[in-house]
Formats: sequence, C-alpha cells, structure tokens
Amino acid sequence: MGEAAAPETIDRRRAGTAETRRGRSFGSRGFFRIVVIGLPFLWLVGLFLVPFLIVFKISLSQTAVAMPPYLPTFGDPATWWSALQQLSLDNYAWIASDELYFNAYTLSLAIAAASTVLTLAIAYPLAYGMAKAPPAWRTTLVMLVILPFWTSFLIRVYAWIAILKPEGLFNQLLMTIGVIDQPLVILNTPIAIFIGIVYSYLPFMTLPIYASLERMDHSLTEAAADLGSPPLKTFWTITFPLSLPGVVAGCFLVFIPAAGEFVIPDLLGGSRTLMIGKTVWLEFFTNRDWPVASAVAVVLVALLVVPIAIFQRQQARL
Amino acid sequence: MAAKIASGAMKSLGSIRRDFAPWLDQAAVPFIRFEAVTKRFGGFEAVDDLSLSIYEGEFFALLGASGCGKSTLLRMLAGFEAPTSGRIVLDGEDMADIPPYRRPVNMMFQSYALFPHMSVEKNIAFGLKQEGMAKGDISERVEQVLKLVKLEDFAKRRPDQLSGGQRQRVALARSLAKRPKVLLLDEPLGALDKKLREETQFELADLQYQLHTTFIMVTHDQEEAMTLADRIAVMDKGRILQVATPAEIYEAPNSRFVADFVGNVNIFEGKVAAATGDRVTIATSAGRKIHVASEVPVVAGQAVSYVLRPEKLRISAEPLSGPNVLEGEVWDIAYFGPVTSFHIRLDDGSTVKVAMVNATRQGPLQLTWHDRAFVQFDEDAGLVLTQ
Repeated sequence: MGEAAAPETIDRRRAGTAETRRGRSFGSRGFFRIVVIGLPFLWLVGLFLVPFLIVFKISLSQTAVAMPPYLPTFGDPATWWSALQQLSLDNYAWIASDELYFNAYTLSLAIAAASTVLTLAIAYPLAYGMAKAPPAWRTTLVMLVILPFWTSFLIRVYAWIAILKPEGLFNQLLMTIGVIDQPLVILNTPIAIFIGIVYSYLPFMTLPIYASLERMDHSLTEAAADLGSPPLKTFWTITFPLSLPGVVAGCFLVFIPAAGEFVIPDLLGGSRTLMIGKTVWLEFFTNRDWPVASAVAVVLVALLVVPIAIFQRQQARL
Repeated sequence: MAAKIASGAMKSLGSIRRDFAPWLDQAAVPFIRFEAVTKRFGGFEAVDDLSLSIYEGEFFALLGASGCGKSTLLRMLAGFEAPTSGRIVLDGEDMADIPPYRRPVNMMFQSYALFPHMSVEKNIAFGLKQEGMAKGDISERVEQVLKLVKLEDFAKRRPDQLSGGQRQRVALARSLAKRPKVLLLDEPLGALDKKLREETQFELADLQYQLHTTFIMVTHDQEEAMTLADRIAVMDKGRILQVATPAEIYEAPNSRFVADFVGNVNIFEGKVAAATGDRVTIATSAGRKIHVASEVPVVAGQAVSYVLRPEKLRISAEPLSGPNVLEGEVWDIAYFGPVTSFHIRLDDGSTVKVAMVNATRQGPLQLTWHDRAFVQFDEDAGLVLTQ
C-alpha cells in the first residue's frame, strides 16, 4: 500500500486494499472459526470415531492365538489387499444365531428402560422441589445433588452391597421395626440392579430437569391459573410440556449408560442376570474372543444411536 | 375509523366527558371494594391499610413508581397474593377464599406470559377450555377476539413467530376471551416502543369503550394513565395519595408529591405573610413575595407551598405587567415542537421552568441562552398546598 501517483494506480491500489481488507478479516475470523469448530471436531474424531472404526474393524476379523488375538492385521502395506479380503461378517452371524446375545440385549434394554422410568419418577419431583425452593437455597440444593460424585463410583456401589445383603443395614432395619421376620433377598436380584442404577444416575436426570424448570417463567403458571386452570391441570398442560427438553435430555443421559452398564449388574446383580456389558467383558477377558466382543459392542452402539438419531430428526422437524 | 378514534380520544379527556362519573353518584354501588387492605412481605409493608372503590365499567389506573405497591394490589385482586389483613369484595362477593382459577377476573401480564408451546389460537382457547365450553363455541369466540385485536391472520402462529406488538395483542385477546367481569392490566404498554405505544393507547381506550368491561391498569407512566383512565389513583409507599380524574390530578393535586409526580411543576416553598379572604401573600424561602389566590383557608405564619405548572407562566424578553413578575437569565432551552421549555435562573438563585406553547409557526420570541428574560404568572395560575 505504497504512495500512488497515477490515477490508474490509485484505482488498482483501492481494489487491492479492499481485497486485502476482506481477505485479512476473513482470514482472522476464519482462523478463529476453524479453532472453535475444529477442536471439538478433532476431539470427536480422535477419541470417538477412530476408536470406533478400530473396534468395527476388529469385529470383522477372526480370532487367533496371537498378539493381538485376531487376524488379519494391517501391518505391511503389501498385504493390505489380501487382509481386506479376509474381513467378514461371520461374528455378526454368530451373534444373531445364539440366543444368549439376543437375551442379553433385550434384558439390558429392558432394565435400562425400566430404570430410566424409575429414575424419572424420583428425579422429577426432586427437581421440581428444587426449582420451587427459595432462590437462596437453590445453589446449595444443586451442590447436594452433585455431592455423591465426590466419592468414587465403585465405592458407592460397594456400599450398596453392605446395605442390601441379607444381614445388611436395610434388612436389619426392617427386622428391628418388625416389618419382616426373615431377611429379604435383594442382593443378586434385578431389584438390586434397579436400586444401583437409579441411585447412581439420579443426578444425571435431576439436573437437566431442574435446569428446564428453573428457567421457566413463573408468570406462565400464574397466567394458567388466571385463565381458570386448577394447579394439577396447570402442571400437565403447562409445566410438564415445557420441561420436556430437560426430561428428554435426562432420559438419554440415564438410558444410554444404563444399557451398557457393567459395574452395577456385576456387583449387585449376581451371576444370573447377564446384561450386555457383562457379555462384552466375558467375551474379551474370559473367552479372549476380541472379534465377537467387538461385534457385540458395535451392535449395542447401533441399537442406541439409531433410535436417538430418528428421535432427534423428528424433534428438529417439529 | 376516524369517528371511533375520536370517541376514544374524547373519552380519555377526563375533564370533558362527564356523562360517565359513577363516583360522583351517592347512590352508585362500587363494583370492587378494597377495605382496609394491608399486605406485608416479611417486614416490608407493600400495601398499607388501603381502601378504594372502583365502579362497574370504569377504566381505572393505579399510578406510582416501582415498589409503591400498585402491582401487589392488582395481584391481590387476581388472587396471586392474599391480603395480610382487610377485605376485597368484587361484585358483592368476598374474594378471600376464592383461588385465582375461580375468580371472574383476567389479567394481562406485563411479560404477556403467552404459552410458548401453543399457537395463538390455542393460547386464546386455553381459558375457554377450562370453562368446558363446546368446541364450536370456542373457535367462534377465538375468531371473534382475534378480529377484535386485528390478528385474524396469525391464529396458527406460535408466540415466538410474532413481533412484540403482536404478542401484546395476543395477550390482550387471551385475557378478554373469557369475558371477565374485570380486566387487570399490568403495565400493558410497557414493552412497546413509543410510536406503537401511542397507537395502542387509543385502541385500548376504544376497546374498553366498546366492551364496557371494568379495566384496572397498573402503570408507572403518568402519560399512559392520563390518556387511558377515567380515574387515577396515585400511590406511594403502599398508600393512595389521591384518587381523581386525570384533569383533577393535574390541575388540582392534593399534595406536593402528587403535583411533582404527575407532570412538570414549579414549587415555591414559603410561609404565609398575609392572608385576607382568598388573597394570600407568600414569603418564599428564596426571599421573594408572591401574591396568589388560595382555595384552602390559611393563616399568617403557616408553612405552605405554591405549585405552578410551567405552561401557566408567561415569558418575554420585554418587561411584563401584572402581578408576580420575576426576572432572570435564560439558563436552558429545550424545543419539543408543540412547546418550548425554558429554565430561567432567577436573580435570587432559584430556577423556574416555563413552557411556552408554540401556537404560531414562527415564535415571535427570540430568546436565547444567557438572555435576560421576564416571567409572569397570575394569582390563580397555581395552587396553594398545605401538605
């Protein structure tokens, strides 16, 4: 952008300046945008998509007594073509043919669904109470909901064993009061799994519902009352529909990890309840069949992601 | 349309319209009565031993600064707050044990409180559904009120697809749909910009005139209250200071607070120097003597204030004749179009506000900053107040 003498140079210089200016501003803003969008994108690609593709590739391989325990491997680029030809869907056919997997999937989804409903039934009133509490208390109440996270998840699940076992605190309490004579068998049953899941995932349901209820305009329920709607009816026609985004978020946050949950069913559910997380564990570590374990995991992801994708597309259309 | 607007405008000029004044009629029975109502929030007294009567078909305004208790009063009538003591009677019925959803009043909220997950149509139908009205009647009524607020084409829209002015109309339509005995309006025009507010004011006045529903409005905007209301209650610190027509509030305020709150005013503080009949001489605290007429009896030595609206003074560059001629320097000029406002710094150090009506296109007066100016007012131009 030097000094210009001739008119034509001035013109050219002007055009140049405009271009440079546009280019520069686009450049700096573009760089910023790339960083803002690119970092999470890289994170997802590096920590979700790439591992998933590796697992998917293993699920198409065959077991082998080797290190790693499957074939083919993509080592020497010269053998890639023949290696590719060795990949097959055999493991998926195997999963489909054995009833054990089907039962484990349906049981996992059923337990996840039931515990999601139970968690919702407990979390909603909790969140509602928090949102209606005096503003000065709310931060403390949110802290109390988060407080259990300060202790290790594993220790908290172990603590439930001490509470639920036949000679545990819960049975002792009931027998002392005189409600029962014989201890109840809760540990190592599906009931213990429900208790464990509901307890562990309650904050994940409570917080999104609380967030949606807390920011709701209080005058909406007043307006409903003003127009003649009694409190309970107002809840179902105004409050609940407007808190649905929180409810949906909470349900996803509980249902998805609960479906693949391994620790809780393993520690509290005993050996008879075979959920899909446990199945993957058995295939990996007991059978050392990484390809089948991977296939089981891929099918689980498909079972969870596809319905969510359909649901979200419908939400977007509304 | 022109005739309609004219009728609305006529109606709002409180001093002109005298065919509707039930508050002057000894035999008239109030439609709404607040009887010694007090409301305390913790230690804070929002409404303090307040009594008030409002008549059927009135457009009533509660006017005051924020925190004066006007909204609390409205919310108690709607049923969202219960009085700490006292009674609210609506159409002969004590409202004490009646929950908001059974009261024959509807409210238009300041935030509009439109249900965001429902279309305009469903928002308006909401109250009618609660009554158990038949479907056909509901859609007929919805159509009717939408037409009333000129939003027929927007029935299927959701609130977030409307402009601020349209949302305001939907809120109004929704609160009118049930044909309430009383419509409560909480700062109904507060969220609109100036131009839209002025248009909507006349429409609202017009609507009330057509429907003959009792309207009670809460506002902090004195202009809004004066344009719309039949009567205004000026409130401060949970109490009502004056209830009167807009013209009475402006021309005959009963206290310094009311005079100062509504419109611009010059206040001369002082003591009565001499009083004979209604002629009073006041020695102002700035050391000047003014000669005025008093409607209230005063005695020599009594502390009084003389309140004088700026447009009741004359201003000139030449010496003026008549009583009460003041002299000073032009300190500030603000040209508003219809009026020009002057701040005159008098020789005693006090300031007087003068509003000159620009009745002709070229003002003959050529006063400018720092010119000497003469200001004059007649004996009955202002009002002697003892409160």
